[in-house]
Amino acid sequence: MSVAGATGALESVQDRLRAKATSMRRRRMRLLPYALLAPSLLFLALFTYLPIVRVLVDSLFDKPHGTGAGEAFVGLGNYARVLADPAFRQAALNNLVYALGVLIPTLVLALAFALAVQRSTRLSAVLRTIFFLPSLVPLVAAASLFFFIFLPGVGLLDHYLAKLGLSGPNWLGNSDVALWSVIGLTVWKNAGYYMLFYIAGLQNVPRDTLEAAMIDGANAWQRLRFVILPALAPTTAFVTVIALIQLLTSVDHVIVLTRGGPSNATNLVLYYIFQAAHENFEYGKAAAATLISVAVLLALSLGSLRVMERGARGNG
Amino acid sequence: MTMIARLGKSALAMCLAMMPFTATAQTKIEFFFPVPVEGKLAREMTRLVKLYNESQKEVAVIAVYTGGYDDTKLKAQAAAKAGKPPAVVLMSANFNVDLKLSGDIMSLEPFLAAEQTTRDAYLQDFWPALHANAVVDGELYGVPFHNSTPLLYYNVDHFKEAGLDPAKPPRTWAELVDAGRKLAKGDRHGFLMPAGYDYLGWLMEALSMSNGGRYFNEEYGGEVYYDQPSMLGAARFVEDLIFKHKIMPQGVTEAGGVSTSFFAGKASMVLLSTGSLSFIRENMKQGYGVAFVPRNVRNAVPIGGASLVMFNGQSEDGKKAGWKFIKWLTTAETLGGWSRFTGYFAPRRSAYDKPEMKEFIARNPDAKVALDQLPFAKPWFATYQTVAVRKALEDEIQAMMNGKKKADQAVKDAQKKADELMRPYVEQTALKLP
Repeated sequence: MSVAGATGALESVQDRLRAKATSMRRRRMRLLPYALLAPSLLFLALFTYLPIVRVLVDSLFDKPHGTGAGEAFVGLGNYARVLADPAFRQAALNNLVYALGVLIPTLVLALAFALAVQRSTRLSAVLRTIFFLPSLVPLVAAASLFFFIFLPGVGLLDHYLAKLGLSGPNWLGNSDVALWSVIGLTVWKNAGYYMLFYIAGLQNVPRDTLEAAMIDGANAWQRLRFVILPALAPTTAFVTVIALIQLLTSVDHVIVLTRGGPSNATNLVLYYIFQAAHENFEYGKAAAATLISVAVLLALSLGSLRVMERGARGNG
Repeated sequence: MTMIARLGKSALAMCLAMMPFTATAQTKIEFFFPVPVEGKLAREMTRLVKLYNESQKEVAVIAVYTGGYDDTKLKAQAAAKAGKPPAVVLMSANFNVDLKLSGDIMSLEPFLAAEQTTRDAYLQDFWPALHANAVVDGELYGVPFHNSTPLLYYNVDHFKEAGLDPAKPPRTWAELVDAGRKLAKGDRHGFLMPAGYDYLGWLMEALSMSNGGRYFNEEYGGEVYYDQPSMLGAARFVEDLIFKHKIMPQGVTEAGGVSTSFFAGKASMVLLSTGSLSFIRENMKQGYGVAFVPRNVRNAVPIGGASLVMFNGQSEDGKKAGWKFIKWLTTAETLGGWSRFTGYFAPRRSAYDKPEMKEFIARNPDAKVALDQLPFAKPWFATYQTVAVRKALEDEIQAMMNGKKKADQAVKDAQKKADELMRPYVEQTALKLP
């Protein structure tokens, strides 16, 4: 009895201990994800959220350069000045033309490449590599290469055009052409990369639907138009977002090739921000322009994520 | 941008890591320097700094290579904002006004006072054209280190072929047009000049000065003379070279395109910096000659180049160490050696009295032409908002070169934009009345 009682008491203690341990474990389990997330959260906060907050604060203050005046709260004044600045408007317009001018040919080319090389034969493996190669070249290096390709009169492009008896325009020095030259370089650089997404997307096009279409007598164009493209919609939505973000956030080639010239014809929003902050001592204005472009980026990704979700649901 | 900043930071970290152990009594200072031309200049500068560190015990200089002129300004200001301002920076000389106005750089007057010398006595040995860029609001802020001017380069073989005398390059605008017309042939241009940002402003300054103008008020940072006859004439001249005489191609050509065209024999005469002398000497296959920038009213060219400045926020020891280092870097010997290595001018006149320098000039007659043009040199434009005010002119001239605007309208619009940019400063200074 006493032994049994003692054992019972011991068991109940053990039970309680076990229960405690379980609840602790459960609590620990609940904390674990946060602990695991902590390092990246910390860095995300330090290097992403904190700077955004800092830029937000900066955008509300102005310290006029060289007038001896201190920093003063100006509310939305910087935003008003940025939006009224013709250089910013032109940069925004250029950015829009640039984004659409790059995006549409890039998507078409990427899909065409993907359709051409989707079967894994030896030839298509070689072609894949060739199409993908430009993506491996850093943008700065690509721009330096194209500097020599675009050289007026003596560049590679004009050299071959001359052999055909043609003469090209001043690719980067003509304000009507320069932005399109930059667009051409970016399409060359990006198309191969987005081809990869389409190759992956093509693997998910349902075979039976394709076969059914074939049996129904659909030709290649009809299969593309009514079977493949709808099935690729989520891929296209995803690639569009990724591409647009990339087009708003890299200006390496503009810096190397034209520094926004001639007469601001190739100036993009990000380079405008650089000029405001580092050439013109207008930190407030630069902060406001930064926030405007971050807002556009956020709206863009939110909007397209929603579109993508809808696409995925429709698909599923 | 962030990539550049990151590269700068890692370069800094590497330099710190590689720094040898030094005694505690030593004052450590940082020296930011750009290399506008090519990599071997960075090695030479590192060698100079090492030489200095080994020559004495009190100061240890950490040399940090900071990219081009613009990157150097950006990184120095970023370091200052982060609370670690570099003691000494080799800075593009026309940033001095803006950097003084933004409170980044310190007056060097106290050092002169401590040595019981005056600004005039100190600057006496430097070429007169350099004084204006060294002084801001009546105080010394920069010590000139290396300098350049524009220069006319021409293809001797083309000259002979066109029946022109290579020994008599064009001296006036009229002669330039005349020679250019004879030289232009098929896809070969008679004349070409860089028209990308930065270079174009400098060359328009050269042309307006050759036309009797001043471009800017060298005593006051709130005035430029874009819509005055001297600049208007220069703009019309460029417009005519393209659209009337047809000896220059339409549109903008960057400096790299100009030198490549010159090497390829596609441009017979080009305007480039004297800083390109060694580059052209090494790469030009055909015969070439150099000459003064042709004049319309008078011979005059702007100076370009860099000077040594000190950033605010140094300890007393840091200040003294920085000044000591600047003095060592700007002796006639050091400046002469750097000049022979790079092709830039030495800013001190006495550097040219040294026997090594005399021998060098005798061996390189093209360097002699560049040197002979120096007495005609004038200050480099530096105003409130230097870069933006310069860009105001460049955007309009580029539009003109693309046939989008006439010269008269271009200079008017440039003046309007520049005045708008300088208004905050003008209102706080010249128009602030009691």
